[in-house]
Amino acid sequence: MIKTRIIPVLLMKNRGLYKGIKFKNHKYVGDPINTVRIFNEKEVDELIIFDIEASKANKSIDFDYLKEVVSEAFMPIGYGGGIKSVKDAENLFKIGIEKVILNTHAILNFQLIKELVKNFGSQSVVFSLDYKKTFFNGYKVFIKSGTKKTSYKPEDIASIMEDLGAGEIILNDIDRDGTFNGYNIEMIKEISSNLSIPLIACGGARNLKDFKMAKDAGASACAAGSMFVFHMPHRAVVISYPRYEELKKVLGEN
Amino acid sequence: MQEFIDLLREKLVEINEKPKRCKRCLMDETAEGIVFTETGCNYCDEFLKILDNPPKKINLSLEELVNKVKKDGRNKPYDCIVGLSGGVDSSYTLVKVKELGLRPLAVHMDNGWDSELAANNIKNLVENLGVDLYTHVIDWDEYRQLMQAFFDADVIDIELLYDNAMLAVCYQQANKYGLKYILAGTNSSTEGMILPRNWNWFKWDKKNIKNLAKLKRIKIKTFPAIGTLDKIYYEFVKGIKWISFLDYLPSYNKFEALEALQKQFNYKPYPYKHYESVFTRFYQGFILPVKFGVDKRKNHLSTLILTNQMKKEDAIKTLQEIPYPTEQELKDDIEYFLKKMNWTKDDLKDYLQRPEKPHKQYGSEISLWNFFKEIYKKINK
Repeated sequence: MIKTRIIPVLLMKNRGLYKGIKFKNHKYVGDPINTVRIFNEKEVDELIIFDIEASKANKSIDFDYLKEVVSEAFMPIGYGGGIKSVKDAENLFKIGIEKVILNTHAILNFQLIKELVKNFGSQSVVFSLDYKKTFFNGYKVFIKSGTKKTSYKPEDIASIMEDLGAGEIILNDIDRDGTFNGYNIEMIKEISSNLSIPLIACGGARNLKDFKMAKDAGASACAAGSMFVFHMPHRAVVISYPRYEELKKVLGEN
Repeated sequence: MQEFIDLLREKLVEINEKPKRCKRCLMDETAEGIVFTETGCNYCDEFLKILDNPPKKINLSLEELVNKVKKDGRNKPYDCIVGLSGGVDSSYTLVKVKELGLRPLAVHMDNGWDSELAANNIKNLVENLGVDLYTHVIDWDEYRQLMQAFFDADVIDIELLYDNAMLAVCYQQANKYGLKYILAGTNSSTEGMILPRNWNWFKWDKKNIKNLAKLKRIKIKTFPAIGTLDKIYYEFVKGIKWISFLDYLPSYNKFEALEALQKQFNYKPYPYKHYESVFTRFYQGFILPVKFGVDKRKNHLSTLILTNQMKKEDAIKTLQEIPYPTEQELKDDIEYFLKKMNWTKDDLKDYLQRPEKPHKQYGSEISLWNFFKEIYKKINK
């Protein structure tokens, strides 16, 4: 086990996997079941799956299909997308999801996080903080797969979610998503220094050094999508995950 | 699951132990049109002839070919295409092509059945060699429907879908960059023994694919089919040549290639040819023998016997075993296959019991292909 968790993120829509740039222009990259199987054989410690349409299109969660996907995996899976109620979360845990990840409905209804934490414990409730720089007002938090701006600043919502009991925060920079420009290190530093719960860096990872930089800035874990799915320059799909020895070396862990 | 494994064992005895076998290679009476000769059979006689003098698309030495590819590719982002499945032949081709100073674009086709081995090998190779990669990902739902249409039709060559699409993608990419050469891992040394007519189907059959899709009202959106006329267009109008690259090397030995790949590229080997795709190994290792009475290993192993890479006794021993390292791995593949195709065990049983139907029954362009082949032969006399 590596102390700094390195987590692949898969984006799902209509039972297919997609990958975009800055939360837009999503391109089909493959079949979720086969991809999870490959990550499984690569002995990935943890996986995150986001349904990128569920909240945006107000769809219900595709439990049947998720069950199929989860049954292919040996590693714990965090799932986000369209979670509206305690019942939704309960059904997700039933099919083998380890952590529920909230964004839209956590912001629309602060009580939801509180109830989830009360029912299932902090360790299984994660808040996904999607943020973007806006033209006039600096960084703002977004919901509905990055399509709707809120009035919250990232640092404020992070602290609210921590107070509500969320066990972890995924800090996702929309402007860096899929760009291979590296994580937003400043933001990771700022948010993590005011948090006592773990922070997962997300958005922009291009190489192993980025993981080290995020770790040094205060991230407990690093998530990446494109880096584990694409080979540049043609964004050719080929699933990959670094070997443990490489990760340990670059992260300076023994 | 055990009943499926018992079925496979039974079937292997039936198709590998009773039929009369060639005295030199492993080909036997399950191969249509086999004629036993004094030395062996028509399959191995023919193979040895090919091996002595592999038919080359362009009659040049390796050095001349490399220079020609370089020259024709000058001022272009790449000078050739290498189709990359993650298997030994295509991987080794990419390594050699790069070593010889060429500038390839590696092209991969993802049909939703890639194994971790394939993904690992492709990633390591392109990264270590510094080669650009292009992947064509076929929408899995569309591909699954096409496969289902092939299963429902009870035709033998389900892999026609993969092989045809791979051909299509290579030609498309060559065309896109104005390249003249597709350097392929196809080769005489391990593949030069002609497959019996009843063991697979003609790979350029776009009509067959489209007709089977039409029967099931499947809309083809991302599947890149290629047919006779496309081939003529690419080869003769655009001048794109498909070249069996390994035939140009002084001696291609699969085991040596494997060793080199493992040493230099952390390459993960797998037990049988074409096992880089989960479906391909399930198809060759289970469906072909059980439903169609075909054990393709006879062909692959025969080429190894004839090129002195394997002893015949060892090859015969291999044939007595299931084409899987362990029963458990076969069980895992059956379960995975059922899940991916959304089949029940009974669906599989039912499929295995139904008799084979010919591809031609659904419409084919093989006669069109043969017609043009005859014309081409006459012109080139």
